Amino acid sequence: MSKRWLLTHGTELALFSALASLPLFISNTYALGLLTLLAIYGVCLIGLDVTVGYLGQVNLAQSALLGIGAYAASLSVTHLGFGFFAALACGFGVGLIFGVILALPALRLDGPQFALATLSFTAIATTTLNEMEWLTQGAQGLHVTRPDLWIGEFTAAGFYWVCLLLLALVWLAMRNMLQSQWGRAFEALRDSPIATDAMGVGTYRHKVAGFAVGSALGGLAGGLYAFNFQYLQPHSFGFELMIILLLGVVLGGRKNLWGAFVGAALIVLLPNLLSNPILFRSFAVIGLSIALFAGWQKQRRQQLFTFQTQAPIMAMLLLAGGALFIDNTEDWRKAIFALMLFAVVVGLPEGLMGFATRRLSQIFRLDTSTLPAAWPVAEVLVLQTSALDDLLEIQQLKHYFGGVRAVDDVSLRVVPGQIHGLIGPNGSGKSTLVNLITGLYSPTSGTIHFQGQPLPVGSLYKVSHTGIARTFQNLQLFTELSALENVMVALRDQYRIPLPLLLLGMGKQQETNARAKALTLLALVGIDAQAQQLAKDLPYGAQRLLEIARALARQPRLLILDEPAAGLAHPDVIRLVEIIRRIQQRGITIILIEHHMDVVSELCDIVTVLDGGKIIATGTPDEIKRDPDVVKAYLGEPC
Amino acid sequence: MLILENIHAGYGSSEVLQGVNLEVNAGTVVALIGANGAGKTTTMRTISGLLKPTQGRVLLNGEAIQHNEAAAIARLGLAQAPEGRHVFGPLSVEDNLLLGAYRYLPRFFGYKKRAQVQLDKIYALFPVLQQRATQQAGTLSGGEQQMLAFGRALMAEPKIILLDEPSMGLAPVIVQEVFNTIRQLKAAGITLLLVEQFAKRALEVADYAYVMERGRIAIAGASAQLQQDERVLAAYLG
Repeated sequence: MSKRWLLTHGTELALFSALASLPLFISNTYALGLLTLLAIYGVCLIGLDVTVGYLGQVNLAQSALLGIGAYAASLSVTHLGFGFFAALACGFGVGLIFGVILALPALRLDGPQFALATLSFTAIATTTLNEMEWLTQGAQGLHVTRPDLWIGEFTAAGFYWVCLLLLALVWLAMRNMLQSQWGRAFEALRDSPIATDAMGVGTYRHKVAGFAVGSALGGLAGGLYAFNFQYLQPHSFGFELMIILLLGVVLGGRKNLWGAFVGAALIVLLPNLLSNPILFRSFAVIGLSIALFAGWQKQRRQQLFTFQTQAPIMAMLLLAGGALFIDNTEDWRKAIFALMLFAVVVGLPEGLMGFATRRLSQIFRLDTSTLPAAWPVAEVLVLQTSALDDLLEIQQLKHYFGGVRAVDDVSLRVVPGQIHGLIGPNGSGKSTLVNLITGLYSPTSGTIHFQGQPLPVGSLYKVSHTGIARTFQNLQLFTELSALENVMVALRDQYRIPLPLLLLGMGKQQETNARAKALTLLALVGIDAQAQQLAKDLPYGAQRLLEIARALARQPRLLILDEPAAGLAHPDVIRLVEIIRRIQQRGITIILIEHHMDVVSELCDIVTVLDGGKIIATGTPDEIKRDPDVVKAYLGEPC
Repeated sequence: MLILENIHAGYGSSEVLQGVNLEVNAGTVVALIGANGAGKTTTMRTISGLLKPTQGRVLLNGEAIQHNEAAAIARLGLAQAPEGRHVFGPLSVEDNLLLGAYRYLPRFFGYKKRAQVQLDKIYALFPVLQQRATQQAGTLSGGEQQMLAFGRALMAEPKIILLDEPSMGLAPVIVQEVFNTIRQLKAAGITLLLVEQFAKRALEVADYAYVMERGRIAIAGASAQLQQDERVLAAYLG
């Protein structure tokens, strides 16, 4: 606790106290202006990092939202007579509204299309600001009056302190949000939207919320920007600012509050650093030495000289060489930025602070945070009982892909408390049937009843809230989250504290409970020792078990396991059988798709065999093994 | 033909392979078995150049290849059917197969004819693939995708094939077919390195086998000998 706490919170405290005390020593108004700008861009980049870092989308609208926020705040002062903080709130609110308006259509898109949608938004927004001369005075520019506070007129230092205070508040609030279930949901839906929906977390809702919060911070920063410069022009919020903001996030390091801050510092300070040739030359030499040192280190450790080490050295050589010949560095500014960006993106894909955080936690041997004690399994997985005869009833279900009858008239009953096997040749429709039950596909015809109620059709998210959970045959883990966090994402009925209270830091107890519950489930499947490893770094067998633990976090009545033993070696298969038995003892009904016949025989009460989308046999494992049709279509001759 | 000397490799700071020594002679089938997480797949990735070892050498026909790119190693006649069926989803089955022979087939003249010859060989082994020739590979069932990955590795007439979990996720009847195919390949004199969870079947088909435990080779020997080995019997054959 203490070392970790000191390093994270202590450094933050030190940073903000240092920043806050600077005006006491610096009287230079120019330097103070730069510091103010640093705080403003910090707020803006923290907002941008939500979409770029956490949601993993290229967002090109943040500069426009900054502009919209700036105009909204200024106009609310001149036309509506708002005070300082009311005007900032107005910038924040307008950013939020425009964020939602843009997000609703744009977040239906992905990747390059999303980037283009946000790019068009920026074009439309800046053009509109320019053309609405009656309101914004267009290209002439708008003079902004900065309202005074009730204690009197702003001094330069006073305004800086207000900006810094807001940055600190935003920092705290966003840390609370991003370390809660919201931050995990953002990362989860970036890694696997399908699994996120299947685990009962609405992907679209979370995406829109994340984008809206980021946009609102852009609007807030816009308000500060307006009162800082006291003069606005639409074209300053166009493409150049947009690129610089993006550069700040990438250089500083994504998914990292410090990264946003360092990025802001870079984009504020670099132009000034570069304006002096001597400073610039020493800067280039330092850059070159760092690149050479990093290359030498890597060479020593891996005896490899890869593109990742060569490219930054070449870029820095070019920069240092150029520095000798160039005197008017100002004119070359963009080219210099480009070289640095290239060097950092290739050499340090995680950004400056991403790299620094990783190295520092290695140097200080930061053990990953301590875990709470696991709970008794009975408290996490409530014993399920059912008075019904059939938990799941499927009637005449059909699903056609074009002309292919993947599921062709299947009727099936699943009895509560049993393990129901589902076997059949590859392509016989087992996985399609599961995808129909869980809502990934909509059936062509037929009905599915769960606990006597018709199941929602064609929505993973809605089905996941009825008490059905599943694992995925081709693993759909949230690869960038730890094993523990993977399970925490899926926990059912766990997160009740609304977002505003979370931002104020009221989610601590809820979070501790969630960790304890998730740990309990990891222990149930026997991978609690690897709780803090990233899912992508787990061995294959552990990934399979993690899928099961995550599905259990839904507290399901019906658990569908899609080939849990695929690719498991003999000792691990034995462990898996024990785990499934333990799950059954909690009263959970299981549908088991599996090719390992020894597992099926060992566990299943009843087995349904599919071939070509139709049921060809139903019975106990022993009956099935003797069925001539099943032997022919599936089992083959014993060897 | 293929020799691994004291290979160390891993991901990031965790070292998975801690000094692996292994040898595959021409014309033999060698099996690599072990529990999940023992490092079998990592060994395969190191051989095929997808992962660079931090120490040690990989020799293919006497040539050190551990620094080569994966594509260059493939051109030397080493093919891999990776675990988890990495087929090209949006492409047709036939295009997937043709990509497997991308460097092998002539560029311009005689392409069609040579390509057809190769395709026919594969279709003879896996008739299902011929039926699905124009279908998108991503819409195949898991087992069919496995066959496709298998067929694709064979397309370029490789000198040695690495098969990573060829039976994974396949119906028992298909697993038998896959092992029959492996026997056919063996009879045709093709060199195979086989990673397999069904240790029993793997030992039946292989000439020689290695058992991996925690990143090292724990036991090595002729398959017939390992089938009798008590340690192997207890841990892997059940």
